[in-house]
Amino acid sequence: MIVCVAVVGHQNNPLYLESFTGGDDALKLHHIVHCSLDVIDERVNNPKRSASTLNETFLGLLYPTENYKVYGYLTNTKVKLIMVTTDLDVKDADVRSFFRKFHAAYVDAVSNPFHVPGKKITSNSFSERVGTIVKSFGHSMSL
Amino acid sequence: MANYLAQFQSIKSSCDRLVVSIEDVSDLWPSIKEGLEARLPLKKATLNNRTRNPVHVENLPAEFILTTDARLRSRFPQEQYLFWFREPYATIVLVSCEDLDEFKTILKPRLKLIVQNEEKEWFIVFVSKADPSNDQATKMAKKVYARLEVDFNTKKRERCCKYDLHGPEANFWEDLDLKLAECIRNTLDKRVQFYEDEIRKLTEQRFMPIWNFCNFFILKESVAFMFEMANLHEDALREYDELELCYSETAGTPGKHRDFGGIDNGDDQAALLNPGFKQLTLIVQDDCFREFEFRQYIFACQAKLLFKLGRPLEVATRGHSFVISFSKILAMHENALPFCFREVWVITACLALLKSTTSHYDGGVMSPDIEREFYRLQGDLYSLSRVKFMRLAYLIGFGHEIEKSPANSAALSMLPWPKPPIWPALSPDSSADVLAKEKMILQSKPREKHFNIQRKVLPLEPSLLLREANRRRAFLSVGNISELVEGHANDGSGPDANSRLTSKNPSYMSRTFSGPTISESRDRPMTLSEVYVAAEYSLKLTVSDPDLLNSLSSLEEFEKKYMELTKGAADNYHKSWWKRHGVVLDGEIAALHFKKGEIDQAAKSYEKVCALYSGEGWHELLAEILPNLAECQKILNDEAGYLSSCVRLLSLDSGLFLTKERQLFQSELVRLAHGEMKHPVPLDVSSLITFYGTAGPALELCDGDPGVLRVTVWSGFPDEIVLENLNLTLSASFGADEGVKPIKSAEKHVLKPGKNIITLDLPPQKPGSYVLGALTGQIGHLQFRSHGFSKAGPADSDDFMSYEKPTRPVLKVLSPRPLVDITCAVSSALLMNELQWIGLIIKPLDYSLKGGILHIDAGPGLKIEESHLIEIEGHDPAEGFEKVPIEGGKVALPDWASDVTTILWFPVRAIDENIARGTSSALLQKPSIVDGMRMIALKLDFGAFRNQNFERTIAVTFTDPFHVTTHLTDKSTDGTLLLQVMLQSQVKAALNINDAQLDLQDGFEHVAKTDRQPTFRTFPLVISPSSKAGILFTVSLSTIEEETPQQDSILNLKYGISGNRTVGAHAPILANGEGSEEMVFKVALALQRPVLDPCVAVGFLPFSSDCLRVGQLVNVRWRIERLKNPETDVSASCRDEVLYEVEAQPQNWMVAGRKRGHVSLSTAQGSRIEITVTCIPLVSGYVHPPQLGLPEVGEQNISCNPAGPHLVCVLPPTLSSSYCIPA
Repeated sequence: MIVCVAVVGHQNNPLYLESFTGGDDALKLHHIVHCSLDVIDERVNNPKRSASTLNETFLGLLYPTENYKVYGYLTNTKVKLIMVTTDLDVKDADVRSFFRKFHAAYVDAVSNPFHVPGKKITSNSFSERVGTIVKSFGHSMSL
Repeated sequence: MANYLAQFQSIKSSCDRLVVSIEDVSDLWPSIKEGLEARLPLKKATLNNRTRNPVHVENLPAEFILTTDARLRSRFPQEQYLFWFREPYATIVLVSCEDLDEFKTILKPRLKLIVQNEEKEWFIVFVSKADPSNDQATKMAKKVYARLEVDFNTKKRERCCKYDLHGPEANFWEDLDLKLAECIRNTLDKRVQFYEDEIRKLTEQRFMPIWNFCNFFILKESVAFMFEMANLHEDALREYDELELCYSETAGTPGKHRDFGGIDNGDDQAALLNPGFKQLTLIVQDDCFREFEFRQYIFACQAKLLFKLGRPLEVATRGHSFVISFSKILAMHENALPFCFREVWVITACLALLKSTTSHYDGGVMSPDIEREFYRLQGDLYSLSRVKFMRLAYLIGFGHEIEKSPANSAALSMLPWPKPPIWPALSPDSSADVLAKEKMILQSKPREKHFNIQRKVLPLEPSLLLREANRRRAFLSVGNISELVEGHANDGSGPDANSRLTSKNPSYMSRTFSGPTISESRDRPMTLSEVYVAAEYSLKLTVSDPDLLNSLSSLEEFEKKYMELTKGAADNYHKSWWKRHGVVLDGEIAALHFKKGEIDQAAKSYEKVCALYSGEGWHELLAEILPNLAECQKILNDEAGYLSSCVRLLSLDSGLFLTKERQLFQSELVRLAHGEMKHPVPLDVSSLITFYGTAGPALELCDGDPGVLRVTVWSGFPDEIVLENLNLTLSASFGADEGVKPIKSAEKHVLKPGKNIITLDLPPQKPGSYVLGALTGQIGHLQFRSHGFSKAGPADSDDFMSYEKPTRPVLKVLSPRPLVDITCAVSSALLMNELQWIGLIIKPLDYSLKGGILHIDAGPGLKIEESHLIEIEGHDPAEGFEKVPIEGGKVALPDWASDVTTILWFPVRAIDENIARGTSSALLQKPSIVDGMRMIALKLDFGAFRNQNFERTIAVTFTDPFHVTTHLTDKSTDGTLLLQVMLQSQVKAALNINDAQLDLQDGFEHVAKTDRQPTFRTFPLVISPSSKAGILFTVSLSTIEEETPQQDSILNLKYGISGNRTVGAHAPILANGEGSEEMVFKVALALQRPVLDPCVAVGFLPFSSDCLRVGQLVNVRWRIERLKNPETDVSASCRDEVLYEVEAQPQNWMVAGRKRGHVSLSTAQGSRIEITVTCIPLVSGYVHPPQLGLPEVGEQNISCNPAGPHLVCVLPPTLSSSYCIPA
């Protein structure tokens, strides 16, 4: 199950973070997302190692820990989309398609003329849409 | 074959290098041994690797063993075959022979016998004992060696070399090395081939029932071992990798149940770097190995090889993933393993990996990338062991000592509890421990956050431990009392809730659950302290590592270890540039420092964490850590830091704290600012107080004008705050003008929460456009400064990126430009000596003249009549008309006149003491304008603060009403003269002459003999502007001499004027305002008596040439002749010399000769002299020629020819070709 999705701006500032744990522990997810930026930084700054994935937006698994996985996605504008899941056997393809949908939702949200670029995304409809994508991810997994 | 495992192991452990056998045919070994062994290890050798590619190997270790040695003799052939890797890789046959016959008969057959074994790789070393001095023996030895070569060398391969005991040849040793290496290579190839064939055969049987992994393992490891002996570590590693793969496949095949292992004592200490930890024979099971031990064994072998290859980084990489994957495997088998075995194993594995990789890592020549990767892995390993260590500590009751930070929560709350088959139960004799634990729980207080911040505590556990423990005790059903009790307290707040629960109801708990009755009620739910004690007890059984046991034995030891692990992780993450990981762990270290009372260090670390979070705008995380920093700073008495922290707390998103808490932050700030601080503290409050210019266009000011600037200041304080003073700097939007002074406002401002509008007095600024710079001010001793510019107030101020420079100018100061123009309204001359209006057109140029004061300063010869009121009228009289007084030359402009063009009329009188003079019409002299010019200096002070001024000096011309010229029109024989007086109007107004009277000078009298000239009937005579009128007088010469001779004739004209003041001359102002009174104009006329009795005659001689041209020299000549005898007249003119003076109009003539001088003229009557002056005409046309005057001789005594002024013609200059440009 996806426990958290986040959008992080190109200056590594949080733009959106939604926790799906249900508990009041979003702060630890803030921490996880924040720390995963280290990995993204490293991948972005060391193009040597990821030469094959230079033009790839999907960064793949950032963080293999015992209990959760962090996946990353980097848009052209250096906005990072991050997802934390407790599913330990997730297919890459599923994650890719999840990020594609998430990216589309993000693009729609920031295309809103009332959204100030670089500021936090406060749109409710974006939040709802992300919720739907997250739910459908869990659903497709269970199928 | 599995039976051979033990033997294989012992052989493997006993042999560690390649063996070279020595077949000592001629008992030479003792004498050559030293020399041969000195060659070991082989410096260089070229061997073939698995893929049959040549590889250079250095320092290849080997051992020489005589074939007669027991180690080689005692082996059975079958054994030899199986453990072929330990057999000699080369055989050196040592021979010596001094006789050819002996060689042929004895030695050769024997050698043939030795070398007939095809599988052996051999070569012969012929040792020559011959002394070099003994030619015979040397020759013989050579012969025998030659024979030997013939017999044993083949075309393909040379198998002989010759060693001279008395001084070996230089290249012998190299030859020997080459031959030895060749043999080893060949043998190695053969054996690898053999093993590979065997392995292939075995692999083909993989899926048959007879498949035995042990056999496969022996073969595979033999190859690996062989490669390892041959220093081909890379290939050996590959063998182990394949072996691991094969094992995974074998172990993964379903069906057979195998023991996992790990239940022996000491298994909890990871042996992943110690291949000799357990005998392989001990872990063999059926046809395979126990997974627990074998996987570690394989990894240990791999690690050993990797270290030999100098790749500690790879060990760390592989090790980390091995630990992770092995931890998963352990989780699968957790049922069969001791309590918390997995956690303990991971901790020891990580620590072992850390220790060995660090010791092997020399930090030598490595690319920075690799180095960072290495440190990152170290950090990961530390971090992993730290998490597991925290878990263990939590289980035994140290949980309340662990900081409930986001990082710890993220690590622990998503880590499942250990899943033993049955949760450990309490041992019967542990009641004392339970009491001690309970006491510890009671004593431990949840750390209160500074500022009384109420925060939900982050969980450190995936689910409540109490419930988990009781649920896992298989015989307890769900829904026991503990669950019910938890039902009230289970608000998700983790162990604290439980501990609080216990502490709230100690009597209840102790009465019901604890105490000496434990053993009786094994089936009732355990209390938390019991869970801790039970866990601690079984953990002690699991852990065999004394260090780890020690670390878990007490709180102090736990903290020590915890600090060590956290520090290790943080340091390594910092080295690996994973700054976020590192800094977050610094925060954990800080928490520990704080607990220990090392506030200084804690503050430093907290500062780092806060800087990281605030730098990237992670406010939620910052809100968690910032109060801790503030607390440290408060304890350390770091006022500046504490204030800054308060400001930062206030400037965080308001949703992150309760209003009450925010008010507390503010009251702390105000308290410090007003009370305790001794010195002013500067502070940046950019995020808390932001400001922006008011909406709409920028304030526009003219150069030099002050103004009032309105600025909106947004306050992030939750309550009103008093600012002692407020300064604002403006910065020029273009050009770096550093010298901008701040705009100060000394008054107190009270900022409401949210938007405030503040007005500031703006002193005059330099021209340019200005944007808001910085806002500074004081709250008590606190000097704050804000650069925070927000565009639209609080909605934006939440973001750290709002520090962008404002771009919209708030103030534009225009370049200096004329703001007003004052010109004279009168275009033509005014009347001299009469009171006249002067009009000034005051025209404001888009600028209000409100409150303006005009200073009028009349120059010499001009007087302002202050007794009269000044008239101000609009350009269009309908706009307004007002009379205002003038005092001391100052006039205050009325308000209505501030924006419209007005004309200001004020009365002046130009004074000219000299009486006007008429001139002869022949002289064509015009009155000079300069004489009538008067200056008025004007100064207008205006602008809101009279800061603007305008100065101008204007010239006004005054004139007499008439220009009078006289002309003697006729002279009758009876001496009557007709004197024509011509009056030319000088003003643009109609003049009417009412009367004219001529008072004649001495020597003249009116023909009518009356004093007054009769009134003409034509009077009043009206003269239009610029027109002329003439009056004729008849006068005659008189002889009457008067006592007071009158020099000039005076013409009195009574006249009136009807003019308009807007045009020029007009009727003078009278007290009653009417201008119709008659005026008198007096003009002096000089009448000359005709020269009746000349004594000197001056004649102008004609020019020598006909025509004069401009630029041409011309001599002007006069002749002077004395007409009278000087005796009759003794005046000055009768001396024998005469003073002359040439007068020429300078614009027409240039005089080249002497203008003035004395010439001698005889006093005798009729004497003559000629005066010549050279002149150059300057202009063409008819001009008056230069005139000769004799100043000492009265005019009446000179007879002139021609009598009056006359004109000569000057032609234009001839064309000069030199200025022509050829076409």
